Amino acid sequence: MMFKKVAVAALIATTVLTVPAAAKEIEQVGRATYLEALKGKRVIFIPLSQGMDLNQAWTAVWERHAARYGFDFQVRDPNMDTAAGIRALQGAIGDKPDVLIVQNPDVQTYARALKQAQQAGIKILQINMQSITQTDSYVGNDWIEMGRLEAGELAKTCLAEGAPSKKIVWLAGVQTGAANIYMREGLDQILAENPELELVSDQPADYDSEKARQITETVLQQHPDLCGIMGIWDNAEVGAGAAVVAAGKQDQVTIVTNGAGAMTACDSIEKGMLDVVYNFNAPIQAEIAAQQISEFLQHPERPAGSEKTVFFGPITRVDANNATGRNCWTIDQLK
Amino acid sequence: MVSTEQNAEQSRKRGAFKVTQEGVVTAIAVVLFIVFSVVLDRFLTQGNILALLKNVAILGMLAVGMGFVVVGRGIDLTMVAVMVVGVAFAIWMSTQGFGFGEAIAIGAVLVALCGLVTGVLIAVAEVPPIFATLAMASVVYGGGRVAFTSDVLYAPAGIEWLTYIGSGNLFGIPVSVLIFALVAALIALFLKFTRFGRFVYATGDNPAAARTSGLPSRPVVITQYVISALIAYGAGILLTGLVSGINTRLYNSTLIYDVLLVVVLGGISLSGGQGGVRNVLVGTVLVGILINGMTIMNFSYTSQNLIKSVILLAALAFDAVINPRDEQTSQSGDI
Repeated sequence: MMFKKVAVAALIATTVLTVPAAAKEIEQVGRATYLEALKGKRVIFIPLSQGMDLNQAWTAVWERHAARYGFDFQVRDPNMDTAAGIRALQGAIGDKPDVLIVQNPDVQTYARALKQAQQAGIKILQINMQSITQTDSYVGNDWIEMGRLEAGELAKTCLAEGAPSKKIVWLAGVQTGAANIYMREGLDQILAENPELELVSDQPADYDSEKARQITETVLQQHPDLCGIMGIWDNAEVGAGAAVVAAGKQDQVTIVTNGAGAMTACDSIEKGMLDVVYNFNAPIQAEIAAQQISEFLQHPERPAGSEKTVFFGPITRVDANNATGRNCWTIDQLK
Repeated sequence: MVSTEQNAEQSRKRGAFKVTQEGVVTAIAVVLFIVFSVVLDRFLTQGNILALLKNVAILGMLAVGMGFVVVGRGIDLTMVAVMVVGVAFAIWMSTQGFGFGEAIAIGAVLVALCGLVTGVLIAVAEVPPIFATLAMASVVYGGGRVAFTSDVLYAPAGIEWLTYIGSGNLFGIPVSVLIFALVAALIALFLKFTRFGRFVYATGDNPAAARTSGLPSRPVVITQYVISALIAYGAGILLTGLVSGINTRLYNSTLIYDVLLVVVLGGISLSGGQGGVRNVLVGTVLVGILINGMTIMNFSYTSQNLIKSVILLAALAFDAVINPRDEQTSQSGDI
């Protein structure tokens, strides 16, 4: 009897003593600190416009992170209006969020406001479109490399034996946009390396498929032996594709562009409107940015602007052979 | 009616010794055409001329609708908003289980309703057209912006007739150009040979006199806006056929001003009661020649817009000199 009592007491004692210890062992290292660091923090995103596929992918991913780890995530959409964008930026400075995410309309417009935000102690992540003001972080495309990749693709195709000609077209978006300026630099590098390549037209299509179609239709009349077209956004270049298809030249003209990797781009490849899409995989960009956001939130002791990092996301070459699976996401898959 | 006839009489007399704006624009168009034909390689080819016409089909169709309203001393700034949102709505319906044909029909009803509301605001509530349509444009686009998450909506694949109107040819002429010509012809005949058409001129020439003399000016005005909305919708379907989707972002482009440019350039006075479809055609062709030539010469987008704007300004100034405002024509609510 005595033995039994002692045994029970010992058992209880060990249980009482070991339970907290066991709980500590199950605790994932750093999780509590992580949750603590993120909880109740505020992140504001000022996009160009939420109407674009890349923006929808980014916010779907960030909203998932915010909901899971308890930080507040707001989108203040200026809907392509730069004046509204500046107001949104000023408003955000007043709100003093912990992190501000900005997608720049061009290199100049937000430059001053970004400086002010930084001076106000807000950490700023620029996503995919840069400003001349460098802030804590840039996550997005290496746009010069993107220009090199697309122009390189055309150089390979149009300088090959049996190419219809060495003529190529650059369908820009908006000429003052960072992406345009840097892609053009990449294109110029490839043109300098391949002097035989002939750039016959460089008109901006203003990210509009109908404008792209009109330019392509006119250029095809001027240069019936055109070999390739490079562009900046798959949703605009489908217009170029439509003009090429209407002219019955889909086997002759190679259309290369880039995009967020949405299903619509894969559909366009399947329909023969686009040949190659350099997919910058917006969901992966958003995950990389989320890592950066969490780093900001876990290190509040580092002052805004004290470290400046740049990270270029992955770029996948997608054509008819691999326009499937993860290269073609839909929004519902990301939520 | 009397005043319309007097006006016609006056302009006929004027035409005998004074140049009309239509005449000036036609002359500029002819001169540009000749210059481009001589200077630019492959400008004067059948393919390029057809491409030129195809590229202004959308603009021209919208301008016919706008001209129809301006003749009645109105202005319809909702056209681009109605066009993109109407078609986007139809495409969205087709993803909700409706057949594409049904969806297009439902979209047409919605668009007609938009036109009806605009018309009632102007004819019954007597809001000046420029403000009523400016506000309605925001409402329509804003509604669309809330309803559809993406800017770019793609038409369902495999709709044969849609592809046909976009890239098909009939007797060697692009179907899109034929549709534009058909709409222009219908409106021209309607204005010229129907009683309703004469009412439009009478209301535009002097709304107060028209109403006092017993014309149904309110129904006339409302019908005008319904028709212009439906024409805009038709242009949107054509656009979807051309590039296999619709970009609602077009609302933010300069398209609506380009439409006005064509109307005013062609010589339809903003003070109403004058001009017709022929003026719109002249304006459309001039803009088409200009854009085509500038694209071939690889002018930058900014300088293209600058040149277009200077021409609009010149046309407006010229309009003011030829059709001076006087006691009779300038009234409150006049644009």
